[in-house]
Amino acid sequence: MLSRLRRHAFLAAGGLLVALAGSALLVASELGRQREAFDTQARIVHRLLSQRAAENDAVLATLALLQPSPAEHAIDRLQAIYPQLVAIQQRSAARDWTLPSLAIAEERSRTARRAVMADAQLAGGRYWLVQAAEPASFALRIDLAALAPGPEWPLRRDTGDTHVDLSLGDQRYVVQQAASAQGWGTRLAASKALAVESQPLVVTLSRRVTPAQWPWVWIALWWLGTGGFLAAFAAWRAQRRARARAEELLRLGQVGRLNALGELAAGLAHELNQPLTAVLANTQAAGRLLDDDPPDIVDARAAMSQAAQQARRASDVVRRLRRGLERTDPGAPQPVSLQDAVRSAFELLEPEFARRGVVPRFHAQAEVRVRAEPVALEQILHNLLMNALQALEQVPPGERSLWVALSQESGCGVLTVRDSGPGVPPELLPRLFEPFVSTRTGGLGLGLPLCESLASAMGGSIAAQPIPQRGASFRLTLPALP
Amino acid sequence: MTPDQSPVIQLVDDDAAVRQALTLLIGTIGLRVQAWSDPTDFLAGMDHAAIGAIVLDVRMPGIGGLSVLEQLLANGVDQPVIMLTGHGTVDMCRRAFKAGAAEFLEKPVDDELLLETLQHAVRQHVRTRERRQADRVTRERFAQLSGREREVLAFIVEGLTNKQIGRALGLSPRTVEAHRAHLFEKLQAPSLAQLIRQYAALVDAGPGGAAA
Repeated sequence: MLSRLRRHAFLAAGGLLVALAGSALLVASELGRQREAFDTQARIVHRLLSQRAAENDAVLATLALLQPSPAEHAIDRLQAIYPQLVAIQQRSAARDWTLPSLAIAEERSRTARRAVMADAQLAGGRYWLVQAAEPASFALRIDLAALAPGPEWPLRRDTGDTHVDLSLGDQRYVVQQAASAQGWGTRLAASKALAVESQPLVVTLSRRVTPAQWPWVWIALWWLGTGGFLAAFAAWRAQRRARARAEELLRLGQVGRLNALGELAAGLAHELNQPLTAVLANTQAAGRLLDDDPPDIVDARAAMSQAAQQARRASDVVRRLRRGLERTDPGAPQPVSLQDAVRSAFELLEPEFARRGVVPRFHAQAEVRVRAEPVALEQILHNLLMNALQALEQVPPGERSLWVALSQESGCGVLTVRDSGPGVPPELLPRLFEPFVSTRTGGLGLGLPLCESLASAMGGSIAAQPIPQRGASFRLTLPALP
Repeated sequence: MTPDQSPVIQLVDDDAAVRQALTLLIGTIGLRVQAWSDPTDFLAGMDHAAIGAIVLDVRMPGIGGLSVLEQLLANGVDQPVIMLTGHGTVDMCRRAFKAGAAEFLEKPVDDELLLETLQHAVRQHVRTRERRQADRVTRERFAQLSGREREVLAFIVEGLTNKQIGRALGLSPRTVEAHRAHLFEKLQAPSLAQLIRQYAALVDAGPGGAAA
């Protein structure tokens, strides 16, 4: 019982382990998938922002090229096309910068020979971009809010869980706030400077994959599958054990019957041997007394009378034994379907058939109903089938066949059991139903006599049939129902 | 024990008919039979000193034949034991012989087999007793020898002449001759050959033999 509990615990623990390991694998693979998607998004975001920043450089370069001075309406048009341009300034001989920082930036731009950033206020999302040129220099005031998103933006803006910001030194502009940034989870992050020299802004994406985003459906399916498999396995094992136990019980029952028979035989041998010893000793003593010279007739006669008395004692033992073996309650015959009886016998002996690799064949045209005592009928069938199976053990597995056939003949139900075993030696055939005659070494030779007495008690008979081919055939006849 | 006591067969079987029949049968060859129905009575009442043999049924109520056999041997009974059984298995047979049974017969037993076995057993027992008796007499005579006589006997057994014995023991050949004459007288040996055959073992046994 304890070991069975332990086996169950082992099975459950093993199942749990498999379920957990499978779940971990599912989560890991999902995380890998999420990371890949995130990296792709980060690359797209970086490329988009870099392109928009590069546009600013292109606008400045164009303005510088449109010297001496672009028309006012052209500047307005620019602002319409590029919404990130909040303001455009130009410094010329006539007009100076409105901010001193722009003048400093112009000098830097002149030395660097490219546009430079000035007066960056990332918290507010604004910065200037200045390009020195002759005769006029230009400056753009950029609005990051208008720069960042667009129709090709790969992230959902309002409900997305990815945080995006742009940073310059310790200034930071939040492009997109994550909808649910809090909570425990796996953090994914990517950070890269924009690919534009004039605007060295670093774009950072971060995202947290929380347990809520794990593939719970798959995990649940996996657990269900594992549990189902375990249950099936346990059921299969329980069934196998139950079957093994049933076979063991059957075997024990047979051994038990044999033991009981052995005990009976030993007791019988002792009971008979005592009087037989006395009979033999007395008669032989009498012979010796009569051989004496002169013959001792008186003592010899006494010995003979003793012998006779002991012979009677032996016959009493036999009579008592027969009375003891006679069935006190033979049970009333009742309507029985032979089909059902055969099927139930097949079921009972199924392990025996399987062990010898024998598939019994059953021929029956119509339902055959007889008057019989069910237990006795079962015993006869069991004996006939076991005899056939034991005969089949003596031939190679490929040649083992067993037929059971039912038929109805002039008021009788007839059941035939035939096997392809070695058959019965012709000299044994007439004595087959005598007690202690067996074709098997070690066989007691009590099965067929028992079958015969059971069959005749039910008003039927049993006989061995000669068959042309190899094998043996037994025919049981029982009175059919009127 | 008196030598003229006639042999007696002890028959132990719980079945009265078997006792009667076997007693009658054994009686036809002139052997006396003492029959017992109860193994315990038999163990308590049998005459250990008697010449004869024991016939034991294996299957008896109370103690079985095999344990009776074991107790007999434990009590130092030297009479041969013949076991009788209704259905002897090889295993039972082996156990009986291992326990010291002389013979193992199956019931019902044929008269010639049983009677021959019994006669053989009785003869065997008589011989055993005779040998034991002779051994006892030999040891008693050997015990009468003096220390010097035993030394001389040991040299005689080894085949030394009187002269050689005298030299070995520092005695004159005449003295050795006197010891030799006494020794022959005490041991009642009719010849040198018989003396050596009877006493060589005792000389080899040394002080142990002398102590007996």
